[in-house]
Amino acid sequence: MPALMPSAVDVFESGDAALRVVATSGEPEQDWATVHRLAEWLDGCGAEGLHGAVPTYDSVLVEFDALTVSARQIRAFVALGLRQLALSTDDGATPREFDVPVVYGGAYGPDLEYLADYEGISVEDVIRIHSSKTYVIRCLGAPAGSPMMDGPDFPAPVPRLKDPRLSVPAGAVAVAGRQAVIAPAVAPGGWQVVGQTPLTLLNLDRDPLVPYRPGDVLRFRPIAVEEFAAYEGQMMEARRAEAHPAEARS
Amino acid sequence: MSGQIIVQQSGNSVVTDLGRFRGPRYGLPVNGALDQYSARAANILVANDDNAPLLELTALDFRMTTTSDILIAVTGAPLSLTVGGRACPQWEPVSVRAGETVAVRGITGGLRAYVAIHGSVDAPTLLGSCAPDTVVGFGLQLRDGMAVETLRRVPPIRQPYFDMPLFRLAVERPHPGRRLRVEVTDGPDFAEFGDSANLLFRSEYTVSPRSNHIGLRLGGELPERTTTGEVLSRGVPVGAVEVPSRHELLVLHRGRGVTAGYPVLAVATSLGLDVLAQARPGDTVRFARTTVAEATAGYRRSMQQLEALRQSVITVFTLLGIGSPARWRELPAAACG
Repeated sequence: MPALMPSAVDVFESGDAALRVVATSGEPEQDWATVHRLAEWLDGCGAEGLHGAVPTYDSVLVEFDALTVSARQIRAFVALGLRQLALSTDDGATPREFDVPVVYGGAYGPDLEYLADYEGISVEDVIRIHSSKTYVIRCLGAPAGSPMMDGPDFPAPVPRLKDPRLSVPAGAVAVAGRQAVIAPAVAPGGWQVVGQTPLTLLNLDRDPLVPYRPGDVLRFRPIAVEEFAAYEGQMMEARRAEAHPAEARS
Repeated sequence: MSGQIIVQQSGNSVVTDLGRFRGPRYGLPVNGALDQYSARAANILVANDDNAPLLELTALDFRMTTTSDILIAVTGAPLSLTVGGRACPQWEPVSVRAGETVAVRGITGGLRAYVAIHGSVDAPTLLGSCAPDTVVGFGLQLRDGMAVETLRRVPPIRQPYFDMPLFRLAVERPHPGRRLRVEVTDGPDFAEFGDSANLLFRSEYTVSPRSNHIGLRLGGELPERTTTGEVLSRGVPVGAVEVPSRHELLVLHRGRGVTAGYPVLAVATSLGLDVLAQARPGDTVRFARTTVAEATAGYRRSMQQLEALRQSVITVFTLLGIGSPARWRELPAAACG
């Protein structure tokens, strides 16, 4: 039995050096697994001229050097990769678990009150809903390998800021639409910032630069303002080694 | 190490290469030289690997001196180049003696220039590339007084007769102007813009001063998305043309965030991105529709010209006894079996 029955895909031209591959089963979990496993396969297949693959939710951007390979050849690689996945019995890496302390509200989460107003619930409820979910990291996004996650179950999708901020600090914990994220680096941002973690996500001396990968799971834990300093400067690390895979999704 | 270049006037200059191609899969933009053709040409002109670290100068004047004899080439936007006070040609190898000052002034016909040094310079790398990443705070931004190690010295080469130009390698140069033509292919979400998509090819756009290595913002008549609803974040290619607001078109360049939630109307071709790298605020841009097949063929023709240049440089440098690239030195050994 294959571990994953890959979704059917559509392939779109995206300029002379990239293709967008979209999984079309309509089953979010299957489509997500398909594009991530396909990206892994492409990264490991060693095809000349293939720069790499950027998988997100239901799609993967495949980048290549137009001098050495053509879009048509890359399409053939994608088809081959999907056939290989259908035969593979490997069910991928075991998810690791991350525990992320967060100071909610105030200067750390300037949009918390607005968000509570907008959702028609209390600030405490926003914090409770946000910190009670177990998040799956769906992909690494902009900026700087941000962990992109399916958002908390708020009553309504979260609107983006009308006026994006020019600078959001590293560690900012934010939500938008039905998504959640932590900012690994200072960057402009249009998401609603509900809190901030004192942990450091990005380490330029490490390869890869962030400790998590798509498929890992993460929980937010409210802490008091006074506790922020105690965690500051600590690197974000997986909470348990991969010794207890059965508990990883508990 | 063989010596150092000492930056006297940094202007707006960095050490870069062709980009961090392993970056996007980890959420980092590719970055690297924005005008890839000019950067490759500069390195080829001094017999470096295409991807060797070199200097990228943006808009502002630049001066440096060197503690050892070096060989350089300056490409990119038209400018005035002097070495030790002598006017020197751009797009040709230029010999610089220890103690002489290299001055680049008046980058006006475009926005970016490249200075390659034979043997290259020493620069830290991240995921295999020295390209600066402003978001994660990595890279060598040059400052006044900064010293950068050069990796090879080259005895001075001077034309003994009346300072005639030393080389005439006749490189194909880009022709930036104030009115730019940028080729694009249809983006994966072209249909989401309905008939208004064609406005992109009929209108003229003006480059906003808020443009940078992440993306160019262009004012003009804007296509409008006819569909609504949240778009899931997706990997977006360098060159993606998006309409994120009612005021401006956005064309993403090599510093772009790798994922975004805006529909991709069109994608600038690799050669089109080189044109955009030289666009100055106030320049006008017209987009011309092409196909991926034509864009690829055009890109490969352009790379063939650089390959021909590489052969000429290797021939000339071998005659002059200038250290040649590694793969050239390997040839006799291979021939000897």
